[in-house]
Amino acid sequence: MQNTDRMTGGFFLVFGIVLYFAIIPNNVSDMEGGWILPTTIPNATAVLMALCGGVLVVKPTVQDIQSPKEFMRAGFYFALLVLGLWAMSYVRFVYAGPAIALVLMGLIGERRPVWIVTSVVILPAAIWFLVTVILERSLP
Amino acid sequence: MVEFSTILAGFGDAFTLWNLAFVLFGVVVGQFVGAVPGIGPVMAMAIAIPFTFGLDTLPAIAFLVGVNKGGLVGGAVPAVLMNTPGTPDAAATAMDGYPLARQGKPLKATKMALFSSVTGDTFSDIVLITVSAPLAILALRMGPVEVFGLMIFAFAILSGLIGNSLMKGVIAAAFGLLCSMVGGDPENNTPRLLFGYWQNYDGLPLASVAIGMLAISEILRRLSQITGDMQSAVEVIDTGNPDDRRVTWAEYWACRYTMARGAVIGTILGALPGIGSTAAAFMSYASAKGASKEPETFGKGNLHGIAAAESANSAVVGANLIPLLTLGIPGSVGAALIISALMIHGVQPGPLLFENQGRLIYGLFGAMIMANLMNLWVGQLGLRFWIKVVSAPESIIFSSALLLCIVGVSMATGGIFGVAIMLIFAGLGYLMTSFGYSVVIFIIAFFLGPRFEISLSQSLALMNGDWTRITNYPVALILMALAVCSVVWFSTGARRSQT
Repeated sequence: MQNTDRMTGGFFLVFGIVLYFAIIPNNVSDMEGGWILPTTIPNATAVLMALCGGVLVVKPTVQDIQSPKEFMRAGFYFALLVLGLWAMSYVRFVYAGPAIALVLMGLIGERRPVWIVTSVVILPAAIWFLVTVILERSLP
Repeated sequence: MVEFSTILAGFGDAFTLWNLAFVLFGVVVGQFVGAVPGIGPVMAMAIAIPFTFGLDTLPAIAFLVGVNKGGLVGGAVPAVLMNTPGTPDAAATAMDGYPLARQGKPLKATKMALFSSVTGDTFSDIVLITVSAPLAILALRMGPVEVFGLMIFAFAILSGLIGNSLMKGVIAAAFGLLCSMVGGDPENNTPRLLFGYWQNYDGLPLASVAIGMLAISEILRRLSQITGDMQSAVEVIDTGNPDDRRVTWAEYWACRYTMARGAVIGTILGALPGIGSTAAAFMSYASAKGASKEPETFGKGNLHGIAAAESANSAVVGANLIPLLTLGIPGSVGAALIISALMIHGVQPGPLLFENQGRLIYGLFGAMIMANLMNLWVGQLGLRFWIKVVSAPESIIFSSALLLCIVGVSMATGGIFGVAIMLIFAGLGYLMTSFGYSVVIFIIAFFLGPRFEISLSQSLALMNGDWTRITNYPVALILMALAVCSVVWFSTGARRSQT
């Protein structure tokens, strides 16, 4: 679909402009001296993205795109991972890791006890053994 | 020039039991993950890097090389059995491998894939070993201006060759460069684009970016495609005839020209940044079909089809290391991961590598040769087991890969902050891939970004800020002219008409 390229091209056109005029000036301080300024390459990339984004809007290619349902499912799994990470920052990997695996397997549709036990108990235990006992590092 | 004693010492290091054990472990892991559709050697390498921190440099790199090489062999198994390549490189293998499996000869097909893969890989490794040191001597004569020109040329080639649009390629490269600018700038140490997160002052962690974009984004994609039905086990048809389970010497020898052609194509394409093994496999397949007296049998289970695809895609692996070891420029994501592992272990890739780390490099070459032999050995013993691995449920594969990614990145970056960055780049990688923007170009640009900026700064210093003095650097001028020519070439659609 050509509209997809127009849409993403438009995004990069706007993103490049916002980067150049708002984000980079406010988040990179310019210094005197030296051969290139700290903003030189960030600005150059912003200009490139805006220019190429503009070209894509005018001359889009044909881009197949996934179904909205797939996007939504991916977004859901992403949100689940964010939630898992947030939980991990409180209760650590030892508890959050198996919980993430359990929820994930449940959502995928896995109901076979052997695979569930393998993924929720044996695998996290193996990771714990590898990281804390063999490698002597700490788990998140 | 590297001394002969250094070369011998390097090869000697590779043949110690400890290092051989890691090569073997890497090959086993590689063949295993290659056989599992959805993981692949690149994802496995990305996950494995943080776990190699505790190792010495040679076993760590040898392990990763083993994973990469083993993955290409393993990738052929699902391609043959399920018509679903475990890695994109094996897509051409499926064209003749799958029909052969349907005829009741899955083991013959996978063994032919194994033999031709090892043949192509060994050829490209020999080329790598013989040409990289002389090339590195040439590369040593290049100053910052030439390196800057070379990087511009590499970006132009990568943007044009990967993906279906030059504009999208340039956007991906620019975005990767922008992300590599996060942190202190090289001249003044001015903080850039930190948004208050001072943890990023040293730059975004490569492990978070690479694993997020390559592994987690792919897991998200695969998870979103699962509709609730668990995959059924693969049905393996067996005729009961022992001849259908093996490749005879006569059959192997009959494919010698096909494999030689595939190995040459793979080596040449592998030495050029960005083209990749998938393109090499299809190009070799097409040339084998064109040269065949029975082109109509291709696609119906012709052993030459498998030999052509596998010898070419495996030959790319060794050749990919030529620009990496001589110039410090990775030609593929696999090479970028190896370069990042080298840097994590305190080794700076580039032309000085042979001078400063000659023993390590020749140790790596020794490990690569051993990995080929072990690929053959493990493949012979393990093919029956990998055939069973193909039918492992996705639920356990993805949940375990996910947990390993989280733990690996946490170890690499020292905490949960790195994991959060990984998730951000996973989302970004998912969106980029969905809309046709190459994450490969992004990662290579992200990796080369700091060096690009330093080369630019040094070039300006050498030219005293006067760009007209670039005429004093003819090599750089030629490289930049080539970059402009390639952009014009790609943008006029010449590439599309070629393919």
